[in-house]
Amino acid sequence: MTRFITTTWLLMARALREARRQPANDLGNAFIPLFFYAVTVGAVGGVAREAFGVDDYKGFQLPVALLQGAAGIAGGAGLALTQDIQSGYFEKLMLTSTPRFAIVLGRMLADAVKAFGLSILIIAMALAVGSGFETGPVGMLVLLVGTAAFALAYSGIGVAIALKTGSPQAAQAGFLIFFPLLFLAPTFAPIEVFATWLEVIARANPVTYLIEGQRSLITAGWEPAALAKGAAAIAGIAALTFTLTGLALRGRSR
Amino acid sequence: MSAVAANGLVKHFSPDIRAVDGIDLDIPEGQVFGFLGQNGSGKTTTVRMLTTLLRPTAGTARVGGIDVLADPDRVRKLVGVALQEVGLDDLQTGREQLSLQSRLFGISSGETRRRVDHLLEIVSLTDAADRPVKGYSGGMKRRLDLACALVHEPRIIFLDEPTTGLDPVTRDQVWRYVEELNRDGVTFFLTTQYLEEADRLCHDIAIMDRGKIVAKGSPAELKSSIGTDAITVLFASDDDAQRADSRIRQLPGIDSTALAGREVVAYLRNGASAVAGIVLALNDAGLTVSELRLAQATLDDVFLRATGHHLEVDKRVEVAAVAGGAA
Ligand SMILES: Nc1ncnc2c1ncn2[C@@H]1O[C@H](COP(=O)(O)OP(=O)(O)OP(=O)(O)O)[C@@H](O)[C@H]1O
Ligand SMILES: [Mg+2]
Repeated sequence: MTRFITTTWLLMARALREARRQPANDLGNAFIPLFFYAVTVGAVGGVAREAFGVDDYKGFQLPVALLQGAAGIAGGAGLALTQDIQSGYFEKLMLTSTPRFAIVLGRMLADAVKAFGLSILIIAMALAVGSGFETGPVGMLVLLVGTAAFALAYSGIGVAIALKTGSPQAAQAGFLIFFPLLFLAPTFAPIEVFATWLEVIARANPVTYLIEGQRSLITAGWEPAALAKGAAAIAGIAALTFTLTGLALRGRSR
Repeated sequence: MSAVAANGLVKHFSPDIRAVDGIDLDIPEGQVFGFLGQNGSGKTTTVRMLTTLLRPTAGTARVGGIDVLADPDRVRKLVGVALQEVGLDDLQTGREQLSLQSRLFGISSGETRRRVDHLLEIVSLTDAADRPVKGYSGGMKRRLDLACALVHEPRIIFLDEPTTGLDPVTRDQVWRYVEELNRDGVTFFLTTQYLEEADRLCHDIAIMDRGKIVAKGSPAELKSSIGTDAITVLFASDDDAQRADSRIRQLPGIDSTALAGREVVAYLRNGASAVAGIVLALNDAGLTVSELRLAQATLDDVFLRATGHHLEVDKRVEVAAVAGGAA
């Protein structure tokens, strides 16, 4: 077990070192959520109270920016893995006595760490422009950990596809499936104002519970039920992606 | 105990791609074993099966006494592997890459530092150690890749065409590392397309042809199996050569002959003392010799006998070797 932790740590450190050497990759991941946050708040913020009874729309939109940022970053592990596979470096790692799962988990954790960092930036920006935060510093920490945990869970999709196909295009395409899910959730408005068909879909969408859990920390206060549902959504996504990754890993070591 | 033992090892990628088609191996500890064959004969596939990267279709293999299928993790601790294509990470420096490799084998960070410094010295990369691998030349990458295979001090090392594409100086260096480590008891499994390499380095060799081992033994044994010397006699016509072939074959002391166009090659044990007899016999038969050469039988002769063709090195590889030499 300590071996598993050490090797995972070493491989996470390597992934982060490499990310620092190509900062351009992550600049896009930081720009997109901040851009959408600014335009959405700018467009809808003024009418949010009359339209659907949201007082703090800057806080209301914050989880969307966090999830967008985290999902963008979580595509990194799969993409980087396809590069390792193509360069043959992945086989060099497979030839060491590293536990197999540590080889991919290190990369996925690196995404979680990056998502944590980006989330700090996004929250700071939101607070700077006047977003509230009902649960204070402790709530912020919970929010950061939750967002990072989501990035970890979600990076498994790209990793599983990378292991299965070795193709960077496939890894990227697979990871884009998050975006429809993000917009089939209470992204711009609360679920109560949705048309019935959209509400039905949104209620079946794990991203809904993620957003509502995160949002409760910002705009409502401590709501154990919302947090538990959010945690369950993350755990569900993780169970799925980790299983797929495990299977793909076994397939690759034939 | 054998360092490497395989029994009926098979890998079929599809019903008609029989990359490895039932091979047996038994390589004693401390040997340099050469695996010879031309492009596509199944060398790399064999290495990948023996080093746990590829699951065999059938058969069993033990490396260092451990079954590669039953306990791949223990096999990986025992073996060092440098694959045919270098597998390096462009974004890391040479030192980072070697250190990570060492740490992933469970070696402590202090010990890693010592080994990495030492290995960088050995493969002459100390000066380039802190530059990203992206900027390395082909030869530097090959040497770093080799160092990665050595960092956990394995007792059995697999090198898949370690010198293909290297300039003669670097090639010589690689040969020296192999010889030095072997003197300390390290076993080598080395694939190559170069007869000279096999002849110089290997205690035993196996010749692969289309997934099967067609000849096995020490270079000296293999050469003497066809006669230690080769006398090549050239005639004015194919017809003359044919008549000479049947005449020469009847002479005492001739092990075998090969006829190729206007050329007859006689394999025998004591070439120098037989030359006179051959010339006299041909004279008696009224055959005029245009040219006569006496040489030692080479592995190329063995390869020709075993496979029916010369060992042709991939032309692209030769070009790469020239380009690498010029760089
Ligand atoms: N992953 C694969 N899928 C399908 N066929 C493969 C695969 N790997 C190898 N082959 C085929 O198996 C045969 C043996 O290949 P292998 O790479 O073992 O040869 P080799 O002796 O190493 O050749 P070279 O000298 O060119 O490296 C070839 O016909 C090759 O095309
Ligand atoms: Mg090969």
